[in-house]
Amino acid sequence: MNFMELCSPNDDISPPVTPPPSCVPTSSSSPSGSGSPNSSHPRPSQRLRSSSYIDPTFNDNPYQLATIFNNSQLDFIRQIKNCFQQLDGQQRQFFLQEIIGVCDNSQLLFVSNLISPKLKIDFLKALPIEISLHILGFIDNPKTLSRAACVSTFWNSLLKDESTWKRLCNRHQFRRRNSSITGGSLMGPPARRLNFSYRDYFKRRYNIESSWAHGGKVKTFYDSSDSGLVTSLQFDDEVIVVGCDNHKIEVFDVNTGARIRTLEGHEGGVWALQFKGGETFDKERLLVSGGCDRDVRVWNLTTGRIRHVLRGHTSTVRCLKMKDKKLAVTGSRDMTLRVWDLERGVLKHVLVGHQASVRCLDIHGDLVVSGSYDSTARVWDMNTGQCLHVLQGHYSQIYAIAFDGDKIVTGSLDSNIRVWSPTTGQCLATLHGHTSLVGQLQMQGSTLVSGGSDGVLRVWDMDSYECMHRLAAHDNSVTCLQFDDKRMISGGNDGRVKLWDIKTGQLIRCFTQPAKTIWRLAFNDTKSVVIMQRMGGQNRDEGKTVMELHDFDSGEMCE
Amino acid sequence: MSDRKIKLTSSEGTEFIVDRDVADKSIIVRNMLEDCDDYDAAIPLPNVTAPILTKVIEYCTHHRAEVWKSSTDDDAAGGGRKADDISDWDAEFCKVDQGTLFELILAANYLDIKPLLDLTCKTVANMIRDKTPEEIRQTFNIVNDFTPEEEEQVRKENEWVEEK
Repeated sequence: MNFMELCSPNDDISPPVTPPPSCVPTSSSSPSGSGSPNSSHPRPSQRLRSSSYIDPTFNDNPYQLATIFNNSQLDFIRQIKNCFQQLDGQQRQFFLQEIIGVCDNSQLLFVSNLISPKLKIDFLKALPIEISLHILGFIDNPKTLSRAACVSTFWNSLLKDESTWKRLCNRHQFRRRNSSITGGSLMGPPARRLNFSYRDYFKRRYNIESSWAHGGKVKTFYDSSDSGLVTSLQFDDEVIVVGCDNHKIEVFDVNTGARIRTLEGHEGGVWALQFKGGETFDKERLLVSGGCDRDVRVWNLTTGRIRHVLRGHTSTVRCLKMKDKKLAVTGSRDMTLRVWDLERGVLKHVLVGHQASVRCLDIHGDLVVSGSYDSTARVWDMNTGQCLHVLQGHYSQIYAIAFDGDKIVTGSLDSNIRVWSPTTGQCLATLHGHTSLVGQLQMQGSTLVSGGSDGVLRVWDMDSYECMHRLAAHDNSVTCLQFDDKRMISGGNDGRVKLWDIKTGQLIRCFTQPAKTIWRLAFNDTKSVVIMQRMGGQNRDEGKTVMELHDFDSGEMCE
Repeated sequence: MSDRKIKLTSSEGTEFIVDRDVADKSIIVRNMLEDCDDYDAAIPLPNVTAPILTKVIEYCTHHRAEVWKSSTDDDAAGGGRKADDISDWDAEFCKVDQGTLFELILAANYLDIKPLLDLTCKTVANMIRDKTPEEIRQTFNIVNDFTPEEEEQVRKENEWVEEK
């Protein structure tokens, strides 16, 4: 073949043993390459023999070629190149095989270094953008995405595309609807927030989740005038309200933990409270409280002023629920429930029927359900004051009740849980499992969680009535529990607070240092409040009541 | 229908003869076949080279018995898009050089073969996974074109996800 004659052994055309380093395209990104090219090689312009050999048919380095070869050699190389280009595929392969066959090791390495980057492709940059985004769509790990954003300016701009992060929000179930993660510049639907960024939103939610798992910022507050037994707790985006057995209601700033005010007026221990309001469209908070002094008090929480003292109960008010800022229902040891008009401060109905203390109540729509020490629960119409159903079945006192409009659930000293229909009053199911009093119940969606004096938490599926998880959570009674669609926190008489994954039933972590007992706890998407009695011991604060405020959305990096 | 033979022509003019059910895996080819009754005419695919078309036909032949449903619904729900559910055969199929993989992605996109597009895109996604920025650059021969100031800023912007 004639092309072989062209490349008959001729040392002149073999590449230099040490290739010109600037020919190696990777030299800019891999500083480990040989020496500094410019110092060992004179500047090309100084060695240029003729500008006519700056020839575009030679690839990237016509200058350099001209510094190494003389004119006739360059002509010869061009000839070979042209010849090569006229060959067919198989001939080209044969040609290359011959050339490579006469290369020594260093030349082979040179060829290899020259070729391997040429075989690589910046896919995300080279592909149409919709395909590049499609590729990113297969990546669930935000860590990978964040690292990809650091690769180059192009990748960085591509990683700013909102569709990737929106999908990731969905994948991680960071839905904004029904989320209490509000406030700040990220919130509200995108339509109302021009600068909304799914990327920033994802980042914030991711940090919050991470803080939940590993621990957020914790502030601890000691009550100087020791509030003793704490009976009730509620908090929102601004305030924490705590009801105490020492007759007082304390109001704290949720961000600083500072006491805003103390509501004094009750002449006995406060045993139940609830507030409503504090929303963007309804700033003013209205608080209703009741306790041992038999009075129900209505407060303007914003000003701290008492609005009404509602009298009528003849024994301790044990439970209460507000329908809204106009109506509240209270349950008492006097065996009655009372429906109050909060605006006018008058009694609307007395719900009579229970044969013993009313221990718990819940409301939904216009229905009130109450659980009593007479072992029955009752369904009432709060507009007419009529008893619609008496739910009979428990053998012993009812301590807890939950009602979502569709089902009523009761927990009893007989260690059973019963599920009832609010429309027929029929018992739909009895959930067995606890070995002692069921004192804590929360129902949300198709999930029910019960906590017992046996220290066990049970997660039930309310469609099948099956127990999904049995968690041996505490060495003593479960005193408080709360869950949402992700997590659950439980507190016990063993002084421990535990954080659980509600779906898997796995313990995520213990929440606080062990205390003597946990009075009350509550959480939302970004914060948690735990009120406990500290352990006795050598510490000065022994036995004191302490409030811990856990913030999982500090807006700063966890370090 | 599957006994029908379909002629496809690559960009070089090379003719490929495939079964109708294999050709139908490409939505664009299927639509062309449905639009014209003259099945004997070769369907020109000027955007696909012969080696790539060979690979595409290999893929479609292997998966000829499968019914591919539209995954648009899955996408909307954010589900069905896991990159780690690649079968052994598919993984082996994708063990090609980057140039071939690149051409396969473009061909799958052009021919509208969603499962092949997903497979090849997943393969690229898996090449990015669990790598540092420098490792990604080396994998794809990308030049770090940030200025030192930009690089520092970008690093800061993205450090929130590290060490967790």
